[in-house]
Amino acid sequence: MKYAVRALGWATKIFWIFIIAFSATSVYSAMNVRMSFGEPQLSLSNEILVISIPLFINNSGFYDLSELNITVDVMDYNGSLVLTSTTFVPLIPRDSSVETMHNVSMSLDDIISKAEIYLFNDTIFNLDMSMKLNFARVVPFQVSMNKTIPWGAPLYNFSVGGISYDYHNVTHQRVIIPLSFENHSPYFGVDGTMHIEMYNDGGEVIASGTSSLDVPSNSKYEGQVELIVDVLKLTPSGEMHFYFETSMFSFGPVVMSYG
Amino acid sequence: MVEKGNAKLFLRKILPKVFKATLLAVIAYLPMYFLSALISPLQPLFPWYEPLTNIFAAVFIFFLVVGVFFSGTVFQYVFGVARMLVLMIFFIYVLNGGIINLTVPVEGESINIMLNVTVVLAMLVLICLLGIAKNVIQAIDFMSGKAETKEM
Repeated sequence: MKYAVRALGWATKIFWIFIIAFSATSVYSAMNVRMSFGEPQLSLSNEILVISIPLFINNSGFYDLSELNITVDVMDYNGSLVLTSTTFVPLIPRDSSVETMHNVSMSLDDIISKAEIYLFNDTIFNLDMSMKLNFARVVPFQVSMNKTIPWGAPLYNFSVGGISYDYHNVTHQRVIIPLSFENHSPYFGVDGTMHIEMYNDGGEVIASGTSSLDVPSNSKYEGQVELIVDVLKLTPSGEMHFYFETSMFSFGPVVMSYG
Repeated sequence: MVEKGNAKLFLRKILPKVFKATLLAVIAYLPMYFLSALISPLQPLFPWYEPLTNIFAAVFIFFLVVGVFFSGTVFQYVFGVARMLVLMIFFIYVLNGGIINLTVPVEGESINIMLNVTVVLAMLVLICLLGIAKNVIQAIDFMSGKAETKEM
């Protein structure tokens, strides 16, 4: 009995020492892990746009970090995935640094198909970020964050007002097209050009023109474009095609009918 | 004369126990006090920690003190088992069953942190179980020793 009691007493003491030592060194090691991101780089392959963000991890603690998994998901208002990115690092040994790339991939098809929604409608994006790792191979650790990002449309409420016609000469007329939109984007201004093509009801281009745009964030644009149209080709109804070429995006045609 | 002798005997028996119990209570309370002081700046992150820690500390110290006063009897080991059980429940409670979930507000956003310390908790529970086993064996040893003395 005495030996059993003594053995249990020693086992308890050894376990206590081990746990206290492990807890103290774990806290010290966790404080000595440094993580930083570098300059993002863009690349395009197989119609997938990839933004690569260099990731540096310096583990100068006492324990290995394993199975590091960083995931970023961006979903739009109806829950469909806009972009996703995952980085997996199997092992970061103690007293070592690891440099890897965190790749954020976007399908160009998706971007183009949804561009019209994002350019003309305000919406929200849900950002889910999570980082998982195994500390010292026995303590799984996870940090996650959920953020809602409001998206302001740069061409919100783009509309064409009542078209008016003025006499230019015997063969041509001046068409005045009032345009307006609001740049709701808090991130960038709409600066560049807007190209307009006017079609008659036969599908023939009857006039075209370009207007410059300089609409800062959170401001309204109200302007008009004048086109010279051949009177013989002008029909009471038709279509107008708008092409936008700005520092942030190129988009077109936006088709609007008149008449 | 007899009463005076009894009082002396009582003091000689009880005083060292009081002294030992006080010393053990202080020693047992110190780590809990320092842990509370260490955690107090992070109190908003551990809202459940403070109130029950004091109760656990009080119960643990109570069993420790009672165990000292009952030393030399089988109850010493009974209270020892109770003390280890309280400690085990305390660890399970404070470590939230091994999964610690924290929500840290950072610049208007909340960051969720999940720490899985199941392995550490398992070791702490094992220590408590070893302590319980030790007390049970000591109690059996004590009882068998007493029975042997009676037979002789």
